[in-house]
Amino acid sequence: MPPPTMRRKKIPWLPIIMVLGAIGAVLVIGAQYTDRGLRDAAPRAKGANVAGAITPTDTFKGDLIVQPIAFSHKIHAKDNGINCLYCHTYARRSKVAGIPPTSKCMGCHTVIATDKPEIIKLTKMWENRTPPLWKKINDLPDFVHFSHEKHLRRFLFDNAGQPVERADQVCAMCHGDVKNMTVDVKSKPLTMGFCTRCHEANKGPSSCTACHK
Amino acid sequence: MSSLFGNFFANWDRYRKSIEDPGYRDYENMWAMAIDLGSCIGCNACSTACYAENNLATVGEDRFLARQSMGWMRVERYWDEPSLGASDPDSQERGGSFLPMMCQQCNAAPCEPVCPVGATYNNEGGLNAQIYNRCIGSRYCANNCPYRVRYFNFYSYDKDAWPAPLNRQLNPDISVRDKGVMEKCTFCIQRIRAAKDDAAREGRALRDGDVTTACQQTCPTQAIVFGDLQDPESRVRKAWDAHQVRLGTTEQKKTNPALRGYRVFEELNTESCVIYLERVRDTDV
Ligand code: SF4
Ligand code: SF4
Repeated sequence: MPPPTMRRKKIPWLPIIMVLGAIGAVLVIGAQYTDRGLRDAAPRAKGANVAGAITPTDTFKGDLIVQPIAFSHKIHAKDNGINCLYCHTYARRSKVAGIPPTSKCMGCHTVIATDKPEIIKLTKMWENRTPPLWKKINDLPDFVHFSHEKHLRRFLFDNAGQPVERADQVCAMCHGDVKNMTVDVKSKPLTMGFCTRCHEANKGPSSCTACHK
Repeated sequence: MSSLFGNFFANWDRYRKSIEDPGYRDYENMWAMAIDLGSCIGCNACSTACYAENNLATVGEDRFLARQSMGWMRVERYWDEPSLGASDPDSQERGGSFLPMMCQQCNAAPCEPVCPVGATYNNEGGLNAQIYNRCIGSRYCANNCPYRVRYFNFYSYDKDAWPAPLNRQLNPDISVRDKGVMEKCTFCIQRIRAAKDDAAREGRALRDGDVTTACQQTCPTQAIVFGDLQDPESRVRKAWDAHQVRLGTTEQKKTNPALRGYRVFEELNTESCVIYLERVRDTDV
């Protein structure tokens, strides 16, 4: 018989297994609490180009709103290939995209197409210092915080290899195919469901306070 | 063993919360405040600034007396504390003490679980956010808030409070709340959002001092310090550390009279984000 010091102590496996099992169960159950929908989604992957972004497919048929001047987006953005950001220049640095001042129109139209009736109208407005009062087409409710700048940064400027010439694709995600419209009409619903479906697909923030104010 | 399980069940709430929010590590920020009652002179500039910043309606004297005021921040006055010498005829001479009270942005907020529609929740900045569009006006939250800092729109105040042209002074970054909606201090979340947008545009992290709340900006004695508790260099974190107040405690051990920090109703385990630094009176020293 070995001396008492050499005898191995019996390990109490049953209580250890029970305790470990209990801890495991608590952790498994507890883990479900951490995955709550109200938290912000994980940091989004960078580098996907806009073709890789999941674009919203919903459509909406807005009324045709008569503008003071029948401005054609098709002639400017498609036929002549002018970048959206040339006129809506604030979109890349502020919440609002902005309507260009009449001086920007006149920058070209003092020499281009001066004989067209709409341009004659515009020139008259410019000379009388009564700029056209454009009507708003895509209007979000007052309780929504929406920043053009953040969305452009996400889909255009922060996208490696995404040429800035493709700004129209990014704008089209929410504004529809403005490039092929004569007068702009609202063609996306811009409801909360529309926003959140895109936020889910592209891993945008899902916290209420990110958009509601 | 039995005492271990006894403790475990006695602290079940805290234990469950520690799994849910493991040290608040998944929070982007932990916005917090430190208010020095020794500096506060009770001027009410903070609550006035809050009215201007957050489109708060002025309701008039009648509705105010009916306790329907809409001010998110009130400066409470205490004249009668025995420690201040309430029985002492000179107590009034020496003046009351003031305590600016607004939503304490509890991390275990009693107002949240009682909301039937989830209109109030803890957001990624450690704030107790109120979503006006979702609120159905049940007022359960107001009844469950131990600090009494939630305010209910009993009427539509927009026409009376801002008759034209005063409506032009409204802050466009905040919605104007309508009848039937609960509201409260947001720690000026519109300013936090704007500062985050600015920082992201400049491609840098948020710095201490990027966000100032309206009350902090206005306070003439700089009694209010606001910032991110997760930033070890922020002024608010230093104030919390200096007075040894931490999240996750329910009681401050005052080992030293220089430790003046406390949180209101800490024992209720609301895990609030506002600490107050006690006022030191001439009679105390
Ligand atoms: S503005 Fe400052 S000094 Fe005035 S009541 Fe508010 S906290 Fe006190
Ligand atoms: S102070 Fe009141 S309203 Fe603010 S989070 Fe705490 S319980 Fe809610």
